[in-house]
Parts: sequence; C-alpha cells; structure tokens
Amino acid sequence: MPDLAPYLVIGLALGGVYAMSGVALVVLFRTTGVLNLSYGAVGALGALVAWTLIDRGWNQWVAYGVSILLGGVLTLAYGWVLGPPLADRDPLVKASASLGFALVLLGFMQWQWTADVRSLDLPTDDSQYVKGWLRINWTQAIGIIFPIVVVVGTVIFLNRSKLGTAMRALADNRENTALLGVPVRRVEAAAWFISGLLFGFAGLMLASLVSMEIAALTFSLPIAALAAALIGRVASLTTTLIAAFVIGIVQSELNAFQSLVDYRNTTPFVFAIVVLLWFGWRRKTEGRVA
Amino acid sequence: MTDITDRIDSTDRKGPDGAVAPNAAAARPVERSLDTRLPSIVTAASPGTVIALAVVLAAMLFAVPEVLGSFWLQVTFSAVVYSAVALGLGLLVGRAGMFSLCQVPLLAAGAWISLRIAALVDLPFPLLLLVTGLLTGLLGAVIGIPAIRLSGLYLALITLMAAGAITLLLKVFKFPNGGGGFWGFDKTVSSGAVALDRPSWVPSDVSFFRYTVVVVALLFLLVGWHIKGKPGRAWASIRQSQVTAVAAGVDTTLYKLWAFALSAFVTGVAGALLAAGPGGVSVNQFPVEQSIVLLAVVLMGGVYNIWGALVAGFLLRVLPQLLDQKLGLDPEILTILFGIGVMQVLLTAPGGIVGDLTKLGKKIVGLFTRRSSTPSTPSTPSTPAPTDTAAAA
Repeated sequence: MPDLAPYLVIGLALGGVYAMSGVALVVLFRTTGVLNLSYGAVGALGALVAWTLIDRGWNQWVAYGVSILLGGVLTLAYGWVLGPPLADRDPLVKASASLGFALVLLGFMQWQWTADVRSLDLPTDDSQYVKGWLRINWTQAIGIIFPIVVVVGTVIFLNRSKLGTAMRALADNRENTALLGVPVRRVEAAAWFISGLLFGFAGLMLASLVSMEIAALTFSLPIAALAAALIGRVASLTTTLIAAFVIGIVQSELNAFQSLVDYRNTTPFVFAIVVLLWFGWRRKTEGRVA
Repeated sequence: MTDITDRIDSTDRKGPDGAVAPNAAAARPVERSLDTRLPSIVTAASPGTVIALAVVLAAMLFAVPEVLGSFWLQVTFSAVVYSAVALGLGLLVGRAGMFSLCQVPLLAAGAWISLRIAALVDLPFPLLLLVTGLLTGLLGAVIGIPAIRLSGLYLALITLMAAGAITLLLKVFKFPNGGGGFWGFDKTVSSGAVALDRPSWVPSDVSFFRYTVVVVALLFLLVGWHIKGKPGRAWASIRQSQVTAVAAGVDTTLYKLWAFALSAFVTGVAGALLAAGPGGVSVNQFPVEQSIVLLAVVLMGGVYNIWGALVAGFLLRVLPQLLDQKLGLDPEILTILFGIGVMQVLLTAPGGIVGDLTKLGKKIVGLFTRRSSTPSTPSTPSTPAPTDTAAAA
C-alpha cells in the first residue's frame, strides 16, 4: 500500500475549490435556471488579471480583490444582458449561450495573454504548518475551510434572509414569484453577482494550486465543479460539497499509485458520467429532463 | 397592409431552412402548432440545389487545386474534412435535436482507429475508411447510449464529460506510431505527428485533396439520403416531441442511437482522411475546447440546412488563416467572434448564417415579385410555423 497521506491535503484543497464553484453553480441554477458554463473562463480571466496587476507592481491584496470583483461583475453583466431574453428558453439553450460567453472570454485571454508559463504565488502559499505527516499551507487551509463556510452560510442565507427566501421562491416558480411582488430581476442579479464572486475566487485558488494554463483553467480543470454539481443533481448543496471533496481527494490520491497516475485527471469525468447514467437510468418516464 | 404582408413573407413563409427549434413551441404554449413540413433537404432538393451542389463539387475538384498554392490547399483540405465533421454534428443537433460536445474527440478516435488498423492489416484505402467509420460509429453509439434516457442539457453534459475523458486518454496513449501492443505506441520514436499511408494512386497532396473531396461528397450524400428517408422523418418527430414520436410508433431508442452512430461514422471517416492528409495528426490537435468551438460554428453555419456544414468548415479552418495570413490579425479574435456569433444565433437566428442569407434572398425576391402583383389576403398563410425569433423576443 503506497503512502496516501502526502496527497490528502492537496486533495482536500482541490475538492474545496471545486465545491466553491459547484455550490455557486447550484445556487445560480436554482435561482435563474441557467447552468452557467462560463464560470471557468470567468475565474481564469480573474487569475490572469491578478497576475498582470501584480506584475505591474500593484499591491497583491488589491489585485486579488480586483480579480474576484471582476468575476462578479462579468457574471452579473452576462446575466443582466442575456438572462431576460433567454428566460423562457430550454435549459440547453441557456447553457449553450453561456458556452458562447466562455468562448468570448477564452478568445480574449488567448489574444491578450500568450501561452507563456506563469505562476500565481499567493502570499498564503509560504507559511506552512508541519506536524508529523501533515504539511499544510494557508492557501490549502483556506481552500478546505472556506467552501464549508460558504455552504453553511448559503444554507442559512437561503433559509433565513429575505433575499434567500426570494431566491428559493424563484427556484420553484418564476411567474408566481413575480406575481407576489418579488423584484425578480434584482434577485436574479444578486445571484449572478454572488456566484460570480465565488467563480472569481475559485479561479484564483485553482490558478495557484494547479496551473495557470489558459485553456486548462477555462475548461478542463473547473469541469470537476460541474461534475460535483451534477452529482448533487444541481439541487443539493450538501451533496455537491461532499461530491466535490470526494472527487478532489480521489484525483489527488491517484498520484500515489504508479499505474494509475496518468488517469487521475479523468476522475471528475468518470464520476459525472456514472452519476448521470445512474440518475438517467432510474427514471421511469421517457423524454423528460432530470 | 404592406406591413402585414411583409411579416407573412418573412416569418410564416419562411421556407425550408427555418425549421423550428424544439423548444420554441414549448416556451409559448399558446403559439404551439404542429410543424408538418418535411426536413429541409426534401423541399430544398430542387434542380437549383442539385446544380449548385454540382458546381461546388466541380469547383473543388478542378478549379481549387489549380488556383491554390500548397499552403492554401492544405487549409482547404482541412476545411473540407471539418465540413464533414460539422455535417455529423449538424445531423445530431439540427435533425435529431441532440447536442453533442464529443465530436472532436470522435474525430481523433477515427484518426486513431485508422492508424491502428493500417498498422495491423493491409487493407485497401476505401475499405480502411469504411472499417474506420464503422468502428467509430460503434463508439459513437456507445457514447449515445445515455441518449436513450437522457435528453437536452443532461445529454449534452454527458457528451462533454465523455469528451474530456477521451481527450485525456488520448494524451496518455497517443497516436499509434508503429509500436507493439494494443495501443501501438512506441515511446522511442520522438516525432509528434503521425501520418496514415495514402493509397498508392493518389500520392500527392493535390490528388489526395481530390480524393478527399469525393469521399466527403459521398458522406454528404449518405447523410442527405438518411435525412430524406425514414430515419430523417423519425429524427424530426423525436426533435419535435419525443412523446408524440413514441405514440406514432417511432422506435426512439433505435433512431437516437442511429443518429449518434451515423454522425460518428461520418466523423470517423473524416478522422481517417485527416490522418492521411498533409502533416498527419498529433495529440494536441484535438483539445476539448475545440468541440465547443465546433458546436459554435455549426450553430452559426446553420444546422437546419446541409449548406451550413460547408459554412462551418470554412469558418473553422479557412477564416483563421485568412485573418492571420492576409489581414495580419490574431486568429484568436475569431474565438471571440464565434462566441458572440453563437449567442446571437441562439437569441435570434436559429437558422444560422445560411438561414439568414436564405431569408434575405427571399425578402429581396419578395420585394420584386410583390411590385408586379397585388398583395394577396393574409388570411391563409401557407404553413403554420412559429418562429424561434418570436419566442425569443
């Protein structure tokens, strides 16, 4: 049995980052009906902007703040412009349109930032805590703890606050919610903005934990978050959180097995395919979307 | 009065290309009405279309290789191959109403299968293409299995996940380059690109280009024949409403898998052609995002018309080189334009570029014809066709 311990922390941190995007995806989907597939691109752009700002001598905390805010603003802008005209359309059309937005951002990134090798060193990377086999730095600790805080906070927010109740109402029935006098567009805007902030934050963490390669940061890395959200049936925050951690840990622990190390990145895809098939097969009625 | 007739002309008598997206009727139940028109190729296969196709084919076979230099011929070659890939995806999206994001990995799989078979047995090239197509078709049907139970967004996502997995596996196994074992990859050979041996009687790039044009034309015919026949009608009924299709006795499982298999067959043959083309194939040629770009250009080209595939091939392979070589612009700008384009198509123009041009042409023709005759009463529109434009507005 190979030594699994060294990969546990990084796996948890990865899982946490996936969970953050996954939870944001679920909340946004429940509120607006949009499965936003541009979240990876938004996070990637934020990370690149942060890198550039720091490169130009900005204070790094300001740069990180700007990049997270950029995630919120971009996502909000997309939702504000394309949300209403697509509101009545099929979920597939909404998701495809967000892929279009992802292409716009991807094209912009590849145009402005060439394929150089970059790395983003967060200030939290340096201070390490070492005890026995445990070796954890602050970035990883934040990656593990913050998503749990986010999920707990989101659940409380959805259950207790007025805006959260409005969001839950929107998730149930848009027309009825509007009839009850809830300012639908404003509630949706809040969902877009908040999820955008989380996408930006997750992008920053992912860029620091894994890589800053543009295409990978846009599609292949964040797809694990989508897998987690799908495992949670784009409805359950807790399931999404757990699924994200499991995917992150499995993906990371496969590093310990020499024969499987090449396949570790297929973990999220395999998880998602199996789960989607499982849900799909158990459905009795044909033709209805899960 | 003119206003009303104008509207009738531009929306109700939209013609064959404005086939209605499946969700349009669902979005507004009040306007729901049955789309009784046959798939566009049936109504569009007028003598004019046949002539136009023949002219394009002749131009590709005789004029293009004479006019273009070796670089642009290579670009056009890849555009021709990718138009077949776009044809396969257009079949799935436009006919059967299923989005797949796994076409580029299937293209890579086709190239891989053809290389592997060629290394194992000595088949004549057309037979190699056929076997490659059939095996890729089988793989496509396997990927399409979830379509039996899932549809819409969830099906699209599962194909995206499959695409991610296949792409990663390809990076591990790489294209066979003469090694042993099942995967046929020899680590000691350092060259990144692998090429398939061409048939002996078309050794040069020019002659193989002509060969490719003929094969791709045959693929177009194959797909057109399917659309025109029973499968096409079955796909159309599945696209409009699966429940109705089941009620009408359509074997939805069979026809959904068939659509995936046929689409993958076309894509697999294209992959083999690509492997035998100038430069061969390499692993980094097939990134996941390429599948998304492909979906974007196929939607932009127009999925309800067979010409859309040609437009998509042009957009995907020729336009970037035109920007780069002739205008000195960064081809990455195109990705931005494709993104904007796909959003625009989804918002307002489900027919894509071909649909828009057809509408424009009809409008112009309509302007001239109406001047000579008095406008007819608008009470009897020829076909009830709720437009997606109306639902989106």
